[in-house]
Amino acid sequence: MSVLVEILRPSFLLHDALVASVLVGAVCPLVGVYFVLRRMIFLGVALPQVSAAGIAFAFFGYKLIVGPHEHFEMNERLIAVVGSVAFTLAATLALSLFERRGRGTVEARIGTTYAVAAAATIIFLAKDPHGDAQMVNLLKGDILATTSASLLTMKVVFAAVVLVLFACRKELLLVSFDRDLAVVFGKRAGLWDLLLYLLIGLIISFGVMTAGPMATFGFLVVPAVTMRLLARRMLTFSLGAAVLGGATAFVGFYCAYCFDLPLGPAEVGVASVVLVVVGVTTRILGALGLWQSP
Amino acid sequence: MSAALLDLRDVSVGYNGTPVLEHVSFAVERREFVALLGPNGAGKTTLLRAMLGLAPVLAGCIDYGFDRGASPPGYVPQRDTLDAIFPLTAFEVVLMGTYAKLRPLRPAGAAQRHLAARCLEQVGLAALAQRPFWAMSGGQKQRVLIARALAVEPEIMLLDEPTAGVDHQAEAAIGDVLAALNRERGLAVVLVSHNLGHIQSTVQSVVWVDGGEAVKHSADVLSAVTPPAGLMHARSKTA
Repeated sequence: MSVLVEILRPSFLLHDALVASVLVGAVCPLVGVYFVLRRMIFLGVALPQVSAAGIAFAFFGYKLIVGPHEHFEMNERLIAVVGSVAFTLAATLALSLFERRGRGTVEARIGTTYAVAAAATIIFLAKDPHGDAQMVNLLKGDILATTSASLLTMKVVFAAVVLVLFACRKELLLVSFDRDLAVVFGKRAGLWDLLLYLLIGLIISFGVMTAGPMATFGFLVVPAVTMRLLARRMLTFSLGAAVLGGATAFVGFYCAYCFDLPLGPAEVGVASVVLVVVGVTTRILGALGLWQSP
Repeated sequence: MSAALLDLRDVSVGYNGTPVLEHVSFAVERREFVALLGPNGAGKTTLLRAMLGLAPVLAGCIDYGFDRGASPPGYVPQRDTLDAIFPLTAFEVVLMGTYAKLRPLRPAGAAQRHLAARCLEQVGLAALAQRPFWAMSGGQKQRVLIARALAVEPEIMLLDEPTAGVDHQAEAAIGDVLAALNRERGLAVVLVSHNLGHIQSTVQSVVWVDGGEAVKHSADVLSAVTPPAGLMHARSKTA
């Protein structure tokens, strides 16, 4: 109990890290619900990997042009942000274009993206041994290194994304549920898709920068999958996934702090336990005729 | 603007530049009830999609006797094309029909909700408004989709196989709803079907789609000549 009180204090040493953690946990599911509904969950694996490749490329490029960079330097995070955002947005735009033109299957496109991004990350790192240590920290989820400045940037970006998601929920739902109807209505379905991908790209870039690819993928998918077992309406699905993501991030942070566990895996572990509990409980209640799964 | 609601003039439709149907010319008048009939793979759905602007018109042109931007047509897709993974109630699905006339970023308000409720009532499903869409029977889902098309407040409704895969009772219920909309509201209806069944008595015109062409007939040919091949024969005799 005293630990809980301690980490809730604003003076807590890792207060910024806790806030960043809960923000990533709460906001990632808001775009994650579209991954689940559009049946493109594996995009949630591929895009964080692309983001990581972008960070590795940015470090490599910085070393080539300017020289070695030091860990915890201010410009290190800026380099990483530029690389991550550029690569993620480029990949989301390319995937969106291929989707509109119907080239190949979704699985093939996403699988290839993941393989290329993973290979590129390793190659860029091999050419920049100095960046290796920094990169390992980022890939693990360097959330404990969150600074007030980076947290403020993240808050602004996430708030903007949430606002746009909320304002455009009607259009995003329509193009996701019945794209043909959107076209019949004269809506520019391609542009709405593009907007969604851009929002996804921004969330993933900042999520990976803060919590690493693994935790970002976990929060994109696991809370949304869990809520899909419970929600019967879009609003409860989206908000429920966000609340669940934020809550599991908080509990994961608490567990990591108490038991000295790596933060990202602890958070995803907690979210996964909740998924298993909800899945088993609804299955049992369903078998007893007390629950009808959505 | 054309006097007819839809006027197809020497239209060719297809995909990737390859025509499925060529030299198609016919019109759909106001208050008319038209059935697109023909064997599997003949191009009925492609023709319907071209009328909706969803499939490319390779040659010729389609004139619309209404403002598509201000009042789009009502569209009822095959229900299996919609993914049951979306957690939506019947009411939420119908509400989507009102988005046609809502500007971007403007949420659905009380007027749209009232309209959606009224449309559900018209198809006899007011009591099931809060039921999850995925949990409904095939016939109920189809009626929800008809209500969604009504929420557009269209002058014409285009339906793709509305009675496919539903039981006899549901087929009759859907037929009754469409007949009432055509008769009482003067709504023009174009539907794709393999088998008219219960709707046959309501249909005024038939477009037979086969062999790369589509030709319009009076519904009288349905009672005069039953086999599809005979229908084409009847066309050549009348021409």
